[in-house]
Amino acid sequence: MDPACDADGIVAMLRDEGIVELPADFPADGDLFAAGMDSMAVMQLIVVVEEHHGVALGPAEATRESLGTPARLAATIRARQ
Amino acid sequence: MTVDVLVVGGGSAGLAAAVTAARQGGAVALVERHGVLGGMGTASLVHSFCGLYRLGRDQPELANPGMPGEIEQRMRRRSGIDPVRMGKVWVLPQHPVDFVRIADELVEESGVETRYHSELIGIERRGAGWLAELVCRGRREAVAAAALVDASGDAVVADLLGAESKLSEPARLQRPAYVFGVNGVAGELPPLVIGAAIVAGVREGDLPEAARGLHFRTSGRPGEVFGTLDLSGEEAGAGYDPTDPRCLAALEGRGREVAERVTAFLRERQEGWAAAYISHWPMRAGVRESRRWLGRAVLSGAELMAGARHDDDIAAVSWPMEFRETPRGPKLRFPESGRVAGIPFAALTPRAGGGLFVAGRCLSCDHDAQASIRVMGTCFATGQAAGLAAARAAAGEDPAATPAALAAAFGPVPGLAD
Repeated sequence: MDPACDADGIVAMLRDEGIVELPADFPADGDLFAAGMDSMAVMQLIVVVEEHHGVALGPAEATRESLGTPARLAATIRARQ
Repeated sequence: MTVDVLVVGGGSAGLAAAVTAARQGGAVALVERHGVLGGMGTASLVHSFCGLYRLGRDQPELANPGMPGEIEQRMRRRSGIDPVRMGKVWVLPQHPVDFVRIADELVEESGVETRYHSELIGIERRGAGWLAELVCRGRREAVAAAALVDASGDAVVADLLGAESKLSEPARLQRPAYVFGVNGVAGELPPLVIGAAIVAGVREGDLPEAARGLHFRTSGRPGEVFGTLDLSGEEAGAGYDPTDPRCLAALEGRGREVAERVTAFLRERQEGWAAAYISHWPMRAGVRESRRWLGRAVLSGAELMAGARHDDDIAAVSWPMEFRETPRGPKLRFPESGRVAGIPFAALTPRAGGGLFVAGRCLSCDHDAQASIRVMGTCFATGQAAGLAAARAAAGEDPAATPAALAAAFGPVPGLAD
């Protein structure tokens, strides 16, 4: 299990993998979709989450409620670990 | 045939160039390889006008005066669809079927003589002007023109003249997009859920890896969506080359194969897709980057990042640098200070001179700047400038005064107001 599955770790992962361009201090409750994440980025995100955290997110989790902020995304991943 | 201005290529830049030139009163011919104008926005089914609006604004404000706003208004009247915000940028959803008719109306109203189903196969100097050779299904036609606009998207005129041009190395070229239409989709389109279903399909071995480059958007018409598949361009087994017909053949075939497999997969798996079917293929895959001119000035990505302005700017940059160097979605780069760069007239002016101008995605720029200026909204603006320059050159007026003449005709450039 990846110890960095918190909001800061998610922001770092999104930055490192180039999923969406974020400042390093992007807030835990910041809107990732407003920051430029789109449906193609979400497809990449699902692949990257699987690589980093061993969790295969599915269509049921592909919602703004589950993925829309770093904090919510971290919680969604933790719930599946 | 003898004309004042010959425009090569009837995409967004060539359309704007030809209509603008014809409105100056001269005889204008427009060569187009398909039977419709609009290029990427019609033949390749690209269904958003990017680059119409200023960057960094809370409201959609037009970046450039004249033709971009005229086409925007005509599209909004036909579609009834307003600009939408996508992340940090505004775009206007556009329907290729509407755009075809808008282009028809524009050329008819302005008196442009269209040469459809035709390609430019030769160009040479003739006195102070040009002698072009066109071919339509083997039938050749000579066209004498006082001025020439290369809006071919591939800098075809540069290649035929042996003039200086540049094609990025295969690994860096922006990847091509294969866009297709699907009908029979019921209910709301959930792009995120569909994306996740496709990733799951690839993971489980039901879909090819290339399907991960696909996303869907609603067309604005009931039951209709567009699928956009970014491909590697390496489907023929070698590096991507948008001027190599073998490469293009493999790309077109692979695009259709992946589109069909994903549509069949979603018919089985996705709520609302049970009756979905592919209703239209593009006439050709969408090439984002090809040969570029190297002219009197070469607009650079560094200038775009710095918000550079020039004494001879004819338009504002109106889109971030959108890199598509992999088929895994865009990487956007915005100007550092928020101030956008201007596009100088010298980047529309090949060194060969003599009433030759360039517009659209093949104007004189580097790979990074091309990632911004290639979009249709910007092409309307550069096309308009090249068309006015060509009309002026044909009338014996100094083309160098084009920036001032543009401002006199269409007013100041809002995108460069700050």
